[in-house]
Amino acid sequence: MTAHAVWTAIKNSARALRNGEFLLRVRADKLYMHILYLFLLMWLTIMLSLQVDKTLTRAGANKAAIEELKIHHAEREAALVKLRSASGIEERLEKMGSKVASPQEPATIIKKR
Amino acid sequence: MKEKNEIQDTIENRDRIHVVMFFVSIVVLVLSALILARIVHIQTSYTVDAKVINLFRPVSQRHTEAPVRGRILSTDGRPFAISAPLYDIYMDCTIRKREFEEKNDADAEMAWREKARQLCVALSNEFHDKSADQYYNTIIQGREKGSKYLSIKKNVDLNTLRRVQTFPLFQEGGYRGGIIVESHEERIYPYDSLARRVIGYVKDTLRKGLEANFDYELHGKAGYEWRRVTDDNSWIRDLDSNVVRAQDGNDIRTTLNVDFQDIADRALRKQINENDGIRAGIVIIMEAQTGAIRAMVNLSRGATPQTTLWERENLCLTEVGEQGSVMKTVTLLSVVEDGHVKSLEQTLPTNNGFVPGGYKQDVHILDYQRETGRRDITVMHGFEISSNYVFTWLAENYYGNRPQELFDHIYSYRLGEAFDFDISGLGTPVVNRPGTAGWSKTTLGTTAYGYGISVTPLHVATFYNGIANKGRMMKPYLVESVEKNGRVIKRYDPSVLNNICSRNTADTVTRALRAVVERGTATRLKQAKLSVAGKTGTAQVVLTPQERAGSTDPYHDPWGRKKNQGTFVGFFPAENPKYTILVTVYSYLSGLSFYGGTLPALAVREIVDKIYALDPEWEQELHRAGSVPVMKKGENEQ
Repeated sequence: MTAHAVWTAIKNSARALRNGEFLLRVRADKLYMHILYLFLLMWLTIMLSLQVDKTLTRAGANKAAIEELKIHHAEREAALVKLRSASGIEERLEKMGSKVASPQEPATIIKKR
Repeated sequence: MKEKNEIQDTIENRDRIHVVMFFVSIVVLVLSALILARIVHIQTSYTVDAKVINLFRPVSQRHTEAPVRGRILSTDGRPFAISAPLYDIYMDCTIRKREFEEKNDADAEMAWREKARQLCVALSNEFHDKSADQYYNTIIQGREKGSKYLSIKKNVDLNTLRRVQTFPLFQEGGYRGGIIVESHEERIYPYDSLARRVIGYVKDTLRKGLEANFDYELHGKAGYEWRRVTDDNSWIRDLDSNVVRAQDGNDIRTTLNVDFQDIADRALRKQINENDGIRAGIVIIMEAQTGAIRAMVNLSRGATPQTTLWERENLCLTEVGEQGSVMKTVTLLSVVEDGHVKSLEQTLPTNNGFVPGGYKQDVHILDYQRETGRRDITVMHGFEISSNYVFTWLAENYYGNRPQELFDHIYSYRLGEAFDFDISGLGTPVVNRPGTAGWSKTTLGTTAYGYGISVTPLHVATFYNGIANKGRMMKPYLVESVEKNGRVIKRYDPSVLNNICSRNTADTVTRALRAVVERGTATRLKQAKLSVAGKTGTAQVVLTPQERAGSTDPYHDPWGRKKNQGTFVGFFPAENPKYTILVTVYSYLSGLSFYGGTLPALAVREIVDKIYALDPEWEQELHRAGSVPVMKKGENEQ
C-alpha cells in the first residue's frame, strides 16, 4: 500500500464520519450483536468489580466490628470474673454491713428421683 | 540501451538502500550503547528519586494479622489469664496550628484552645490523675513547643477509649482533633495476685510459670494478607494474592480450683498479716488420687514486713531446704515397710534421750521420763511428740550397718531428684548419702529426723500424697488439657511416679499421722470439720554467708538470730483421703520461732473447714421424711 492509498483511505473515512456513513461503510450492521455483547461484558465486569470492592469493604468493617466485640467481651469477662471471686464477694458484703457470709456447712441438696 | 538504463537504476536503488540501512544500523548501535551505559549507571551509581519510588510502589500492602494468645483456665473453666488489647492515647498538639497561622486567623486559634480546655476538663473527669488546668497547660506548652506526640494516657481499655474519642476536639478525629491511638496486646489477670506465680508471665526475655512452659501452645501463629486501596480509599483484601489466616493460641486448662486457691490464699494471708516476723508462706493442695494440684499459693513480703504480700517467687518449687520433723514420716514409712517396726506400739529404750555416736541429747525424752516414769517409749508416742531421739534410734538400729537401705527408700520416694513438672524450676534435692562429701557419722541419724536432706515443699507434699493414696505416689501436675475453642485437643492424664509402700504400711503410717493430730503436736486441727492426718515440722534454715556475718554456726548469726520455717503437711479426710495439704511459713532473720503446729496448723484448719463447706463431695442429701397425700378432685370441697 502506497502513501497515497493510505491518505485516500483517511480522507474517505473522515468524509464518511462527517456524513454519518462510517459504520455503514465498514458494514458494522453485521457485527451489531457482537458490539452490544462486548459492551454488556464490559459493563458487567466493571459493575461486578465495584460490587466486590463494596462487599469486601463491608466485610472488613464487619470484621473490625466483630474484633471490637471480642475485645469488649474479653474485658467484660475479666471484670465479671473479678467480681465473682469468693473473697471479693465476702469483702463487699462486709463493707455493706451484710450479715450474709460464706457457708459454714456443706449445701443440703434435694435429688430428683 | 533501455535495458542498460534499467540496470543502472537498479544499482542506484540498491546503493540507496545500503546507505539507508547503514545509517539505521549505526543509529541502532548508538542506541544500544546508550542503553548499555544507562544500565551500568543505574546498577552502580544511580539514586532513585522518592517521587519515582512512589510511582512504582505496588498498590497492595502486606498486612500482618496477629494471633490472640490462648487463655489459661481453672479446672472449671474460669479464666486466670486472658488477652485483650490496651490502648495508649497520644496527641498531636500542633494540629491545625500552621493552618491558622497561614490564614492569620486568631479567632480560629482561640476557638481551638477553648475546645482544648473542654477536652482537658473531660480528661480530668475521666482519669482523675491530673487537674484540668494541668492537662491544659501541658497541651498548650506542647502546642507552643511543637510537640506532635504528647502522651495523654497509657493502657486504657476499649470502653474508656471509646468515651475519650467522644470528648471535644478528639471527636474530630486524628487529622483535625490530633488524637493518636496505639494499641498493644496485654495479658489480663482477672484474679490479680491469685496463683500469679503459677500462671507466670512472658515479657521479652523474662519468662515464668505456665505462660512460659506452655508458650508454644498459647502464642498461636501470625497470619498475613495483602490489601489494596479501593476507589473510596478503603483498604480491602487483594483477591489476587495469597492469604494466610492467623491461628489463635490454644487454651490451657489447669488443675487449679479458683475457690480452693482463693480460700488457701486468704487463710495464709491472714496468718502472715498477723505476724510481722513471717517473711513468706506457701500452700499446696493436691488431689490424693490423681496428683492434680488444686491450689498452689506462694506469698512473700519484700525485705521488710511493711512491704505488700505478693506472689513474688514460686517457693513451692524453688525453696530447697531441710524440712525438719515432717521428714520423720520418711523414716517411719521405711522401717514399717521393711518390717523392722511391726507395730506402732513397739517400744524402744529411752536412754535419757541419748543415742550413742555423737548425737545431741533429746531433752523431750527427759520430760517424757519425768512425766510417765517410764524408761521405754512406743514408736507411736515418739512420732506424736516428734522425738528426734526416737527417729535417730530407729535409723541407727535398723540402718546403722546398711545406711544405703534408708537412702534407697528416700530415692524411691523421689526425694532425691527433681522430677518432671509442668513448671520449670523445680529445685534439685540435696541428699548427703554415704560416700558424698556431706556424709558424716551423724548424717544417718539427722537425716532420720529431717536434717541433712534438703528438698522442696512440692517433694514433701508429693510424698505425703503417696501415703494418702495408699502407697501409690502420683506425679503432681498442673495442666489437665490443651483446648481449642472449647474442644480438647490434648489431654494430660494422671500418672504414677512410684509405688512407695504397701497398702498396709500406708494405713499404719496414716494411723500414726492421725495420732499426731489427736494427741500430738497438731492438736489445733483436732476440731476441724473433717478429720485430718498429718505431721508438723519446724526447721532452722541454713543462713547465707551474708546473713551469717562471720558466724561459724550455719543456723545463727553472731547475735543469735535465726531463720526458721514451720510446716504442717497431711491429708483429709483421714479415713478416705481426698486432698493432701501442705502449709509452710518462713520467718525473717530474727529471734522468733514459728512452729508447724501453730500458724500453719491454723491456716490448714481454716482451709479444711471452708473446703468442707464448699466441695460437693460433702454435700448432704435431703431425704424424704414423709409424703404429701394426693388430693383427689372434690375432696377439699367439704
